[in-house]
Amino acid sequence: MRALLANLLLFGAAMVAAPYLGPLWHALFPEVSRPVWDSPGWFSLLGEHLMLSLGATLIAAILGLGAAILATRPAGRALRPLLDAVFSLAQAVPPVAAIALSLPLLGFGAAPTLLALVLYAALPVMRSAVGGLDAVPAPVLDAARGTGMGSARILAQVELPLALPVIQAGLRVALVLAIATTAVGAVAGARCLGTPIVTGLANGNPSWVLQGAIFTAWLALIADQALRLGLGRHSG
Amino acid sequence: MIRFEGVSRRYGEQAAVDRVTLEVPRGSICVLLGESGSGKSTLMRMVNRLVEPSAGRVLVDGRDVAGADPEELRRGIGYVIQSVGLFPHWRVADNIATVPRLLGWEPARIAARVETLLELVGLEATLFRDRFPHELSGGQAQRVGLARALAADPPLLLMDEPFSALDPGTRRGLQVALREIHAETGKTILFVTHDVEEALALADRLAVLDQGQLVAQGRPAALLEGAAQGPVRRIFGEESLAFHRLATLPARSLARVGDADGLPMLPADATLKQALMLMLSENSARLALPAEAGFGGGTLHWTDLVTAR
Repeated sequence: MRALLANLLLFGAAMVAAPYLGPLWHALFPEVSRPVWDSPGWFSLLGEHLMLSLGATLIAAILGLGAAILATRPAGRALRPLLDAVFSLAQAVPPVAAIALSLPLLGFGAAPTLLALVLYAALPVMRSAVGGLDAVPAPVLDAARGTGMGSARILAQVELPLALPVIQAGLRVALVLAIATTAVGAVAGARCLGTPIVTGLANGNPSWVLQGAIFTAWLALIADQALRLGLGRHSG
Repeated sequence: MIRFEGVSRRYGEQAAVDRVTLEVPRGSICVLLGESGSGKSTLMRMVNRLVEPSAGRVLVDGRDVAGADPEELRRGIGYVIQSVGLFPHWRVADNIATVPRLLGWEPARIAARVETLLELVGLEATLFRDRFPHELSGGQAQRVGLARALAADPPLLLMDEPFSALDPGTRRGLQVALREIHAETGKTILFVTHDVEEALALADRLAVLDQGQLVAQGRPAALLEGAAQGPVRRIFGEESLAFHRLATLPARSLARVGDADGLPMLPADATLKQALMLMLSENSARLALPAEAGFGGGTLHWTDLVTAR
């Protein structure tokens, strides 16, 4: 926990400092005339990056959870292999390809990025939710039915609460995947921490590329660190 | 109270329950006895419609359960299962309150009911109310399971091998507790077990199932009278049949008038099996029986016991 907080503070400090480190970027890239990335500001990029990640995770959670509930109902059990195949296929498509393929339909901006991230993050949510719901002990379900609970009530009051720890683990994985992958959205013009990378590549400015890459990678590492912390706390 | 009329349940070609007709009188403990796969649980689960019959019908209080709303029906019938099935994320009090909550009782009424029930099943309310199921021993958990089944005061209890997973001492304690609760509440209880001793310890009525068919039914004493035949003989065990028969007969039925001074004393409601055990453990060929209403007391003799039919 302490290591994570320290890392976050350091990350924030670096974002504050980056625009003032002109001499450093100059020294590293003497041939670049404007080596300092200053607009839009780093915190604005970070904010939009996180909004995209969170939004995508939220949609992925709804889809994944919905599919998992459907696949674990007696009536939907036959759909299970199909749902699993569809969600696996969705994740197998690399986000950058998903963005490229959806560009003609969705145009530039946040929309194709969101779609690519949802496709990428829905599988862990569904897999974990199916696992969690499957693990609810049969006698508990038998008792719930035997005491006269309806199936909606059993789902809401017994199955989901008991499956929650496993579902939460899946949600964390989905969120980390989304945060680490969002930078790709910059190729479709979505504003995020990948924006300086794409802009830098387009303008032959390796200094911007480096700065964007540092913050993108750093944020992904922080997300991973937080994930480990969350999972570790659960299993321990 | 419960009537099975020509009830069958088929899974493909296999008949789990095969044309069973059985009546469970109000206020009795009826034990369904059989080996695993005999269809006893399946038969019981038709009463609260956890299993639907393929043929025949089940009547509770004269009404065909097929016409009842399943959830409403189940809220009116207590249900206890072997692995207890307590909701692991709910405290003891919340588990017991399951059905009263479904029925929309006031919180104050529910809290009072929980206290009463914990006391009835022999658990200190202040000590156990706020525990989670994983903080209970097997016997305590099953007592909570019993309290949950009794919560809304249903006239009928279904119990599916409720004590089978418990160790012998705990199991006997719960059997005694169940008989006391039955005497106190007058519930009709349909009890499934594969354990012959448990069946004889509890049953007013005994129904023996074998391969889905009802092969014998009636009062335990009548059922074991004479040489029981076929599957009944096998289920009760060839060698120990005579011993089990002793468990169905009251000790006082063989009492003689006589001087009981200094003899080991039996409880007034002891069975001949208990008498035999006491004779063996006390090395005494005679025992004393205390006087009780309608019975003047007396002595029980070894020779009478071994020649009893």
